[in-house]
Amino acid sequence: MTEVQKTDRREFLKKGLSLGLVAGGAVILGKTDFLSAKETVTAMPDLVAVKNGEPDALFKKAIELMGGMRQFVKKGQTVVVKPNIGFPRKPEIGATTNPLLVKTIIEHCYKAGAKKVYVFDNVVSPTSSNARNCYKISGIEDAANAAGGIVAPADDFGYKEVKIPAARILTKTDIHELILNSDVFINVPVLKHHRSAHLSIAMKNLMGIVNNRKEYHLRGLDQCIADFCLYRKPDLNIVDAYRVLMSHGPSGPSDESSLQVELKKTLLLSRDIVAVDAAATKIFGKDPEDIEYIKFGHEQKIGNMNLKELKIVTYAM
Amino acid sequence: MNLVKIRIAISLLVFTLFLLLFLGGGKISVFLSPILLPLQFVPALMRILTQPEILFIISLTTILIISLIFGRVYCSFLCPLGMLQDIISALSRKSGLLRPYTFRKPHNLLRYSILGLTIATLGIGFLSLVNLLDPYSITGRIITELGQPLLTWIYNASANLLKYLNVYLFPKETPYLPLWALSVAFCFLILILIMSHRTGRLYCNTLCPVGSFLGLLSRISIFQLSIDQNKCRECVRCEIVCKAGCIDPQKKNIDQSRCVNCFNCLEACPQSLIIYSPSFNKIKNDEWSPARRGFLIAAFAASGSFFLAFNSGTAGLRKIAHANDRLPITPPGSVSFAHFTCACIACNLCVSACPTNVITPSFLEYGITGLMQPLMNYQKSFCDYECNICGKVCPTGAILPLPLEEKKLTQIGEVKLIKEKCIVYVDKQNCGACGEVCPTHTINFTNKSNVLYPETDTRYCIGCGACEKACPTSPKSIVVRSNSIHKKAVQYIAAAKLPQPKKETSNDFPF
Repeated sequence: MTEVQKTDRREFLKKGLSLGLVAGGAVILGKTDFLSAKETVTAMPDLVAVKNGEPDALFKKAIELMGGMRQFVKKGQTVVVKPNIGFPRKPEIGATTNPLLVKTIIEHCYKAGAKKVYVFDNVVSPTSSNARNCYKISGIEDAANAAGGIVAPADDFGYKEVKIPAARILTKTDIHELILNSDVFINVPVLKHHRSAHLSIAMKNLMGIVNNRKEYHLRGLDQCIADFCLYRKPDLNIVDAYRVLMSHGPSGPSDESSLQVELKKTLLLSRDIVAVDAAATKIFGKDPEDIEYIKFGHEQKIGNMNLKELKIVTYAM
Repeated sequence: MNLVKIRIAISLLVFTLFLLLFLGGGKISVFLSPILLPLQFVPALMRILTQPEILFIISLTTILIISLIFGRVYCSFLCPLGMLQDIISALSRKSGLLRPYTFRKPHNLLRYSILGLTIATLGIGFLSLVNLLDPYSITGRIITELGQPLLTWIYNASANLLKYLNVYLFPKETPYLPLWALSVAFCFLILILIMSHRTGRLYCNTLCPVGSFLGLLSRISIFQLSIDQNKCRECVRCEIVCKAGCIDPQKKNIDQSRCVNCFNCLEACPQSLIIYSPSFNKIKNDEWSPARRGFLIAAFAASGSFFLAFNSGTAGLRKIAHANDRLPITPPGSVSFAHFTCACIACNLCVSACPTNVITPSFLEYGITGLMQPLMNYQKSFCDYECNICGKVCPTGAILPLPLEEKKLTQIGEVKLIKEKCIVYVDKQNCGACGEVCPTHTINFTNKSNVLYPETDTRYCIGCGACEKACPTSPKSIVVRSNSIHKKAVQYIAAAKLPQPKKETSNDFPF
């Protein structure tokens, strides 16, 4: 046990040192935008895409390419993992995040030293009985419990109002206290078709941490989705594109004979929520230029939708 | 064998089961409803009138036969309101506030008039009186409208505190109860409290139509309580424990029509002069009896009303075939507006069992004939696509049980999109809140320069109200209009042949 920790630490130091050198070099060369704005100075890729594996294997590879979970989760931190549990649908439908992926992420968080890992989503059909159904039927409740995650309901008590001064429309909103109180926020959306917003990916998934979604719809859905990211960007976005719902989204069809799902067996990782949405849009087979909220996100400098400008690491298993 | 102890044990058990039935939530209600409710007089009667079923015919016959043999044991052993009154009386007595019970003159004119009127109105499909006075319904409303919110509040408060211990419970939604419905339940609770605190079973012998009816049977029942007139020395110990106030110590007589068979007097008599035995040889009281006249009135009213019931014209008046925005929407399984309003006794069991709380009690929404019958309230919630609990718990057949597959195709109302108000049409920007939650693909979107415009295809609509609940505009841009006769929706099957799920094999990325 201690042996493993030692090597880990050594490796970490080594990595840190080399990363530091790269970062230093970057500063000298004047390429400052190469560095992320946060204090962790790294040379991690802007986006990692892995394909042709099972959800757990995909994640293990992707996070390794990203530099390991310790880049995101430090010892003693509390983490919120926010999957898409919006609908009472079985994992096969592709309307909710893959439970095995959620489980693997939680396990990695604990391995990286996390103190507590919460899992929650403010489900779409807003009644308590339904929320419980969604958690159960999606398989996420069991998966999260198996990994030691704390499955929390998004109840009405837990919201606090926050101001977003830079927003164009959504200048204030009610956000769940689990997000406000935790150190690390990991966004784990599922890539799926959405009848009324084209696609639901990472930015759209953040509608599950606010209370009053009606306001978004009322005041301008696409702009509000983008505006929210000005308040809090997730520390890591993990897009589940393993089983992709190609039509009848976001809920999937009422009868399974109309189900249209593609096994794309892909996983995307990025700190840049706009970039990851743009990449996922391409995987779905659409053009990011057609998705209004992605364009707004780019305009408002929340992230970069021009994938050509990014350092992307891809890997096929 | 101590009859009082047996009575207390059985009635406490039954009352606890009643609390569970109304407060236990979906699964428990579904389990307990078919066990408890066939043995409730009015629900069983209504079921036989609307949807005769062998179980209910047997159970009601059993109640009648038992009453003819043993007297009004129903009132002490099975009636939840009777038990509620007994509990209140017992608590009052324990606290020392209760005055001793005394003999009271019967209110025959009042009670038989109410009985006659209730039967007569029931016969013409006017349920308000039954709904107001049926003891089972009153108890149901008190537990649902006062007990359930209290319990939910306690549960949610504890759930909120448990969060600090890292125990996360899913909170329960506080049910929405309109003020009027709440007031009726509250007034009845107060009425019952005062009546039972002061005078025991006064409600049962004045206002309760079931009590009055069973009283008529117990007058001629085989087993009766009687006082040994020769040996009794008028110690009045039996009088002061008689909740019904029906023991007249001067005449040494027990009014059989008002006795609820609580057996307290059996225990109270120091000389055991009160006996419970077959009454074949007892001297009949041949005095002029207003009760007998009442019986005649009631019998007359009953026969007349059954005649009317079979020729009922009132129901026909409400058979408007097209979707209508003025009528309330009735729960899935209730067949039609007419069927529902002629069978629902407003016990509120569906209200308390509904997991999404979409079924809320009404006050006058169904008009004066259907006081307090519940309706689908899409302002507050929506009907869960995967749920058919209300039909499973309804005792009267007002909401008939529907298999889930059938429920998913039962159109209780029809959606109407008001484009003049809809954000997408007015502001030309995406919204789609309605389409996101629609379980039946009634709402489809057309892409015009990257804005997705909703359209409705009402063939698929079942009127669940998810879209109306989700619509962010006020007033709503999408509303469900009632189908006064429920229809069958078309099963959605995707128009185009969809490609089979294909497995990604290439190792390329599109970026």
